Amino acid sequence: MRPRIEIRRVSKTYASDHGPVVALRDTDLEVKQGEFVSIVGPSGCGKSTLLYIVGGFLAAEGDVFVDGVRVTGPGTDRGVVFQEYALFPWLTVHDNIGYGLERQNVSPTEREKIIGGLIDVIGLAGFEKRYPRELSGGMKQRVAIARTLACDPAILLLDEPFGALDAQTREIMQDELLRIWLETRKTVLLVTHDVTEAVYLSNRICVMSARPGQIIEQFTVELDRTRPREELVLSAAFNEIRNQVWLSVRRQAIAAGRQNANAS
Amino acid sequence: MHLKMGGTSTIRWIGRVAPLLLFGALWQFVCSAHVVDTEFLPTPAMVVAAMGDLLSGGEIAGNIFITLFRAGAGLILGSLCGVWIGLMMARSDKFKAYVTPIVGGTYSLPKSALIPLFALWFGIGNLTAIAAVFLACLLPMIVNTYHGVVTTPKVLIWSAEALGTTDRELLSRIFLRNALPDILTGLRIALGFSFVLAISAEMIASTNGVGKLIFMYGENGTYAYMFAAIACVVIVAFLADRLVLLVTGRLLTWHESAGAAYERRVS
Amino acid sequence: MRRRNRLSQAPWRSIASIIFLLLAWETAARAHLAPPLFLPPFSVVSVQLWQSIADGTLAIDLALSLARAFCGLALGVTAGILLGLLMARVRVVEWLLDPLVALGFPSPKIAFIPIFVLWFGIESLSKILLVAFACIFPVIIGTYSAARSVSRLFLWSAMSLGSNRKSMFLHVILPACYPRIFTTFRIAVPVGLITTFTAEMVAGGGGMGATLIYSQRFFESPTVFAYIVVMLCVGLLLDFAMLRFQSHYLRWAEG
Repeated sequence: MRPRIEIRRVSKTYASDHGPVVALRDTDLEVKQGEFVSIVGPSGCGKSTLLYIVGGFLAAEGDVFVDGVRVTGPGTDRGVVFQEYALFPWLTVHDNIGYGLERQNVSPTEREKIIGGLIDVIGLAGFEKRYPRELSGGMKQRVAIARTLACDPAILLLDEPFGALDAQTREIMQDELLRIWLETRKTVLLVTHDVTEAVYLSNRICVMSARPGQIIEQFTVELDRTRPREELVLSAAFNEIRNQVWLSVRRQAIAAGRQNANAS
Repeated sequence: MHLKMGGTSTIRWIGRVAPLLLFGALWQFVCSAHVVDTEFLPTPAMVVAAMGDLLSGGEIAGNIFITLFRAGAGLILGSLCGVWIGLMMARSDKFKAYVTPIVGGTYSLPKSALIPLFALWFGIGNLTAIAAVFLACLLPMIVNTYHGVVTTPKVLIWSAEALGTTDRELLSRIFLRNALPDILTGLRIALGFSFVLAISAEMIASTNGVGKLIFMYGENGTYAYMFAAIACVVIVAFLADRLVLLVTGRLLTWHESAGAAYERRVS
Repeated sequence: MRRRNRLSQAPWRSIASIIFLLLAWETAARAHLAPPLFLPPFSVVSVQLWQSIADGTLAIDLALSLARAFCGLALGVTAGILLGLLMARVRVVEWLLDPLVALGFPSPKIAFIPIFVLWFGIESLSKILLVAFACIFPVIIGTYSAARSVSRLFLWSAMSLGSNRKSMFLHVILPACYPRIFTTFRIAVPVGLITTFTAEMVAGGGGMGATLIYSQRFFESPTVFAYIVVMLCVGLLLDFAMLRFQSHYLRWAEG
């Protein structure tokens, strides 16, 4: 079966004050239907850039196909959740979630049903009339996820969605995301710098090199995700994979550090 | 406004100024096509000729200098007092409580309304204009200085105190330095006000100054000269504003590195 | 315990300040510290104020000035928002208007009063257009700046939620600009009032400013003071109204 997302020889260069910067060079990646793939790597390696290219927000050289169709711009088939500051502050929680539904002219009754359902899924019943300004970081990200899920995209693109949250909230949100994914089995591409998070959530991890970014290593993760977090995270299997991935990222981070030292 | 244009900076500069030439051409067209009587709208040529006349005659230079003197005096006095009051309001809650209603009140009052009152008190001359400019410049300086001082990060203050900075040093080295960008923004606003009030005062209650000059040309019907004088005012105001921006840019560059150097020493 | 604290935090210092000033005014005037021409007692000013209200002159003047100011504001702010948005979206418009706005913004619009009087007479039209001219520049700049700095995360989120260009503008860019546009509006209102009053003082044609200057020329200082007090109150009320509007309709704005 054709992979859901195909990234072939994608390169991206952008201009900066110090000359052209090659963010990605000949990056290849395939994501199959229903997979949960994480991209990890040192800061500045281009993993977010790759995500934005798949989302259709940035143009690049190379080919990106989704379901066999070339990506030329953003679309409702690829939902995006950003790290923060992406909720529309002038809309209530209810209207934020319903934004995509309104744009697609879904009938009001249908809209209410979907919004109501999602509010329950994210556990924010009673907060429909609040504005993002009145919500905590965790709550805002819940709304962001719900807003994306409302349009029922086949693919979820997540750019460090929990990076701005404190450690405890982050763990709670990871469990939420895992729960949603186990239920809906959407294809997920997650960018994160938290290796533990990647191992906890995904069934495949791609390690990106220092700039210019390329996928250097891949790890398959086969863990029983029905086990509770306490058991899973403390198990030997989990930690073995985690250590391997961590080491791989660490090597890239050191290489990136040397790069920066040479550059300045 | 940041238009990205290619080419050398001269070409870019010409590109930015070009619409003015288009505007001038449109102006000339409107006159030539007799859409409007040249009585009401002198041609660009007439205005430029009048401007040449004024500049060579020295009449406008003298009057502009008078206006600049009034605006400048009020601006400097108002800024110094404004910074001091803003600083005091930020450091002392008591002072702030006493002073706020007065400051708040003057915000709502159009300062040019005080010109007839000042004319009553001080007569027709420099003092009326300077007093009006002074009051107008006070408020933006007070508000901006207050905001700048009040938003000084606590960690900065605590670090400095832990290093044995005296209270007086705190004031100048920490608070005022931190408030500098806000103060300079306030200065730019106050500059605009100073021109407005100086010229208003001259139009209402004065015997000289460029405001009076424009008014007189209007009364006498020598409209080309009136337009020329106004054009001179626009240019002077524009240049003064650019000057403040330039100074701000320079000061803040030093401020950034000076502030950063201080922070490195502190942390 | 809590009740007592709230009472002691009542703005008694601020009120004390005002009362002190009024008392100082009254005593200084009565003690003839300054000639009554320069400083009429507060009581006399109040009487004059009441008289002006009673015989309708204040009402007429105030209505005329406010009507001019508001018409000019409506015109200037609307045009300013439209032009600001247009400049932010269309490069050609930005290129055309940039030098005009750059020149116009710092220049004292008051200097243009004689031009407006020449073209439009001394009645209301010249005042309204002058006010529009004075207000349009800060509104253009504020709107332009807001429209250009709409976060790309908003735009990207909207695109992947199914927004086309038109709905992006109406439903994302415009609402994102509201707080900034309102702030420039708050700046424009006092500018509009000042311009109206000053234009009336310079060129006459009725209104608060004209009466103010006539009173000064005929040395009727109680009227001068009374009108200044009224202008002060009008300014305060308008600002209060705008704050209320902001705290309700723009309560979603961060920061």
